[in-house]
Amino acid sequence: MAESILLAAAALIFLGALLGVLRLLLGPTVVDRVVAVDMLTVMSISMMSLYALVAGRVIYLDAALVYGVLSFLAVIAVARYLERGL
Amino acid sequence: MLQLLVFLLCGGILVSGLLAVTLKSVLAATVSAGLASLFAAVCYLLLGAPDVAMTEASIGSGLSTLMFLYAIRKTRGGDD
Repeated sequence: MAESILLAAAALIFLGALLGVLRLLLGPTVVDRVVAVDMLTVMSISMMSLYALVAGRVIYLDAALVYGVLSFLAVIAVARYLERGL
Repeated sequence: MLQLLVFLLCGGILVSGLLAVTLKSVLAATVSAGLASLFAAVCYLLLGAPDVAMTEASIGSGLSTLMFLYAIRKTRGGDD
């Protein structure tokens, strides 16, 4: 039961990452690509957390935590850049 | 399974690097370079180096994108 739930979570994460990469490749404007990168960041964090659960190592959660804290920085920088603020 | 995942992430690094080289817009190229560093951080984590992944995530994806944007703004005035 637990294994099937983990497998379904991994499949959903891969589906999300695939759609994000597709939008990154196709995206006509820059803003589309920025949003795709933000979505891929969330997918990476969930991938790290899932791998921490599968591998049974708590230290991997620290990397996911640091990434979650710092990942919004690039998106905010791009937003400020687009608004001529940076 | 883990090997397949690492190969997929390496393909992601490759695609992001190619996008960063070939895209015309400077801003989109900067974002793609940050994405390559994002995939590299997950790849390091899967290969068993969480401290390297932490450093790559904070410096490569956050600080380097910020400094690239600052440099573009300072030099060319951002003609996208």
